Amino acid sequence: MDWEGQRLAELLMQWLLFGSALVAFLTGWFTASYSTMLYIYLGGVVLAFLVSVPDWPFFNRHPFTWLEPMHAEKQSQRLLARQQAAGKKGTKSQAKR
Amino acid sequence: MYSWMLRVNTVLTLSVTVLALLCAVASMADNLHWHTPSVELEVVNVGPLERLRNGDDRVTLSLNIKADLESVFTWNTKQLFVFVAAEYWNPEEGFNQISLWDTIIEKKENAKINTQVKSKLLRRSTRIGYFTYPFQGKDLKGRDFNLTMYWNVMPVTGVFTTDKVVVPGFQLPQSYN
Repeated sequence: MDWEGQRLAELLMQWLLFGSALVAFLTGWFTASYSTMLYIYLGGVVLAFLVSVPDWPFFNRHPFTWLEPMHAEKQSQRLLARQQAAGKKGTKSQAKR
Repeated sequence: MYSWMLRVNTVLTLSVTVLALLCAVASMADNLHWHTPSVELEVVNVGPLERLRNGDDRVTLSLNIKADLESVFTWNTKQLFVFVAAEYWNPEEGFNQISLWDTIIEKKENAKINTQVKSKLLRRSTRIGYFTYPFQGKDLKGRDFNLTMYWNVMPVTGVFTTDKVVVPGFQLPQSYN
């Protein structure tokens, strides 16, 4: 699951839970039945589980773009080159004096 | 949110929080409910007032209990506990209650009460060792009392409340049989 997918999963879960709570309250109020309210909310929780817990393909639409791998050899060679360059500068400055 | 276990945890936590909110809002919505119960309590017949050998007073009352508690029921009411008590006040002990009849109503359809009951009103004296309080057990003669119907409302979620209707102006016989 990529970054955008994680954001989408959390948003979907919150909307489903709060939305089902609202629907459950209104239905329970108008049918005057407390158990109806609880069952509708339970259905919303199950739906939120099914939607946001598994790693669905639509959570993977923005694949990560990694940096190119850096190899240890190359880096040491670069360091060596930099040190050599610095050494030459140092000798030059001493000669000027 | 990067692994499925974290997502399960998040869904569970938020769902329980929202459930608590839902129950709180539902039980608060009960305050908007307006109830208009009607209660009629009558003493049909007062039996002979007796002085028992152990010092207790006893009298048998026939009551006519009529009540309509349908409007007390809301969607958040689990059951009602209804009882009728005879109440009186005397300076030695203060407020006295004697329960005469009770019932449990679990459904709105059964909330209309219309019944006749015969109930014993027994004034039991309190004994500590051999000592009896002089004023106890001897105070039912000519006693003025109220009949009060109480009902406890037990909600599915929320606050347990009690309500009552007082019917004053009854009197027990002036002499023993």
